[in-house]
Amino acid sequence: MHLYKTIKNFLLDQDYFIDLWKNYVHVYGFNKIEILQETKIVLTIQDFQLEITGHDFRVLKLTKQEILIQGNLKEMRIL
Amino acid sequence: MKKYMWVTIEVANKARFFLKCQEKQIAILEVQQEKNSLQIKIQKEDYSKLKKIWFIKIVKIQALGWDATREKLRQYHIFICALVIGAILLYFCSHLMLSVTVIHSKEEIRSLVLDALESRGIKKNSWRKEFGELEEIKNEILEMYPNDLEWIEIETHGMNYVVRVVERKLEEETEEPTACNIVAIKDGIIKEMVYSQGEKMFSQNDAVKKGDILISGSIKKDEETKNTVCATGEVYAEVWYQVSASVPMTYENFERTNKVRWNIKLKNNGYDDFLFKSRLENYEEEKHPLLTIFGTEVSFVKQYETLKSTVTLTEEEALNKALEAALEKVEMTLDEKEEIIAKKVLKKEVNNSTMNIEVFVSVLEQIGERQEFVVEE
Repeated sequence: MHLYKTIKNFLLDQDYFIDLWKNYVHVYGFNKIEILQETKIVLTIQDFQLEITGHDFRVLKLTKQEILIQGNLKEMRIL
Repeated sequence: MKKYMWVTIEVANKARFFLKCQEKQIAILEVQQEKNSLQIKIQKEDYSKLKKIWFIKIVKIQALGWDATREKLRQYHIFICALVIGAILLYFCSHLMLSVTVIHSKEEIRSLVLDALESRGIKKNSWRKEFGELEEIKNEILEMYPNDLEWIEIETHGMNYVVRVVERKLEEETEEPTACNIVAIKDGIIKEMVYSQGEKMFSQNDAVKKGDILISGSIKKDEETKNTVCATGEVYAEVWYQVSASVPMTYENFERTNKVRWNIKLKNNGYDDFLFKSRLENYEEEKHPLLTIFGTEVSFVKQYETLKSTVTLTEEEALNKALEAALEKVEMTLDEKEEIIAKKVLKKEVNNSTMNIEVFVSVLEQIGERQEFVVEE
């Protein structure tokens, strides 16, 4: 397990990252979901909040610190 | 090793559900959303947390991996048990032989073959032998009884062995007669005479009567018998027959269509019964015996649909058919060298839709027969 953690820390040396595609948003390392709606999602990441707006948002995957969202993205900004 | 499962839930507010999952640290690995329900893939250990969410209704749980297999086995255990028992029974039934029947008219040959087979493991209530083993046993038995058996065949009919045997008949040496004539057995006109011993008494185109000596065994010179032999030869003569034949001018004909149906036929005490209902009105069947269980013969039957039609022959067609039938009657009595030379219809009449004819047939036939005689000293 120590070896696994060492490799993981080496490969994922970021505390968080946000991947953005045309219809998908992948957020790794978020702390809390503040708002989850079909048109708006707000996530708390460390000391800031990420606001994603658009329409037809659907959650495809959700774990402790990772979320994959599908939908038509209009805007993304840091609050 | 982590275990996963698919859970189908009914939930009104999906966003609220996801927030709750995030709060309760339930990892959702895959989501398939429908109108009023969600299908989510979660870890098995998170299921207890999921159950505690009060505003959702769990509709269906589907385990994955070994758990799913175990679940399926539990669900279909009766069917699987029946399948296994059925397979064992089938193996048992197809490998157990319940009887051995030797087909031969002589009791001594039957018991001789039965004893030989029994000593080689072919007996009642025994396991079926493979084809190669049967071949070896056949050869062994033939080698063991070279003077008694000519040929042996072991067939497996379902759960029975059927053994066909041909007895070897050693030819007894017969003494060649010393004095014999070739005598006519029918009236006729001689057409061909072939002989190797004896003296011919008639020539080609001579008319002979039944009982006439055709080739004499007495070799004469100046009216005196010089030598006596057994006359050998063949005499072909023209002989005549008057044959009658009848043919119906209207008959029913059954012609096969392309429709074929399969069925299983059960025969018990001479009564036939089909496993499935036959949907064909008229059919011809082809039977393939499968096995015999407790006296019931089970056969696989192929049923060919037939169409019934009534055929009406014209007078000319009926005449030709009747003529063919009449000639066939004569041809059946002829051998390879014998043949029909001429034919003539003597009489024809139609009575009750039946064509009746009388035919005069001229045939080239062997009429000589060997007949022994006593030599007067």
